Amino acid sequence: MKTPRDILFARHQTAAPKLDAIRREVLAAELNNQETKEQSQPSNFVAWFLCCSNKFWQELIWPSRRIWTGLAATWILIFVFNLSQRDPSEMMARKSPPSSPEMILTFPQQERLLAELVGPNEPQTVAPPKPFLPQPRSEGRIEILIT
Amino acid sequence: MLVVAEHEQLPVPQARAGESSAWDTLFRRYQLPLYVYVFELVHNEQTSLDIVQETFIAAARHIGSLREDGKFGSWLFGIAHQKVIQLWRKHGGKEILLDEIPESPDEFESGPDDLLVRQEQEAEFMNLLNQLPLAQRSALLLHFVEDFSLEEIARITESQIGTVKSRMHYAKRALRKLLEEKQ
Repeated sequence: MKTPRDILFARHQTAAPKLDAIRREVLAAELNNQETKEQSQPSNFVAWFLCCSNKFWQELIWPSRRIWTGLAATWILIFVFNLSQRDPSEMMARKSPPSSPEMILTFPQQERLLAELVGPNEPQTVAPPKPFLPQPRSEGRIEILIT
Repeated sequence: MLVVAEHEQLPVPQARAGESSAWDTLFRRYQLPLYVYVFELVHNEQTSLDIVQETFIAAARHIGSLREDGKFGSWLFGIAHQKVIQLWRKHGGKEILLDEIPESPDEFESGPDDLLVRQEQEAEFMNLLNQLPLAQRSALLLHFVEDFSLEEIARITESQIGTVKSRMHYAKRALRKLLEEKQ
């Protein structure tokens, strides 16, 4: 009578030489790696970054890829719908060329013409602003009290 | 033949310190059990060898993340288990290691040697083992190969203890039943 462990190990005993080779390979590679660890800090960072992004992809994006695709498709649809619903006059206004210098020169002429049509403006009776005269603080205070 | 000791002293602290002889001892100790476990899940020699190699590399690089030296074995099998799951995901496999099975009764036979197989039944035993659902086979292999406790198997497979208990119970019952039928 044999235990399951005995049966399993006996079945795979033939793999022992290959496993020995792997062990030696890993030991040689990893010891060498530890010696050059300090020299390869940037590559370690790259490896870490790649590992993280791979993990992120495999564990967050890939398992629910259909959901992500659906979300992306929805956003594209919303964007297309939004574009199609825009006011065409707004688009035309955007497309119109910038005003040329000649156009700018005609503005004062048009203003003059408009003034002639409307009639002369009445003189403005707005009092000019009082010049600021510095006063002692006490006088200023009295003025406030009086008012 | 490799015998699993109750409280074997493994040179984990020395391996942490970067001693190559310590790593050699650790890898030598676990190479065949790891290979057996992985092979019986993936059924491909080259893939199994690759996973063992990747597990060793990951262990050497991330030994700092091992909290308790006494749990080195289950930690190493946990890495291998994750590699197997990654392989299945890469090949578009479903979450076949996470099958739902009903609650089992409370009793649980803890020894891996309580299931003895006669020489003429060996081939049949392996055939029956391979017929088990993957989650049950995984739990049973960890129990057979390294005599891991329920807690350790739960940690390795990232499952609940109750789930592991159920898997073990149904797997053992199925194996025993099939072996009895063949007698």
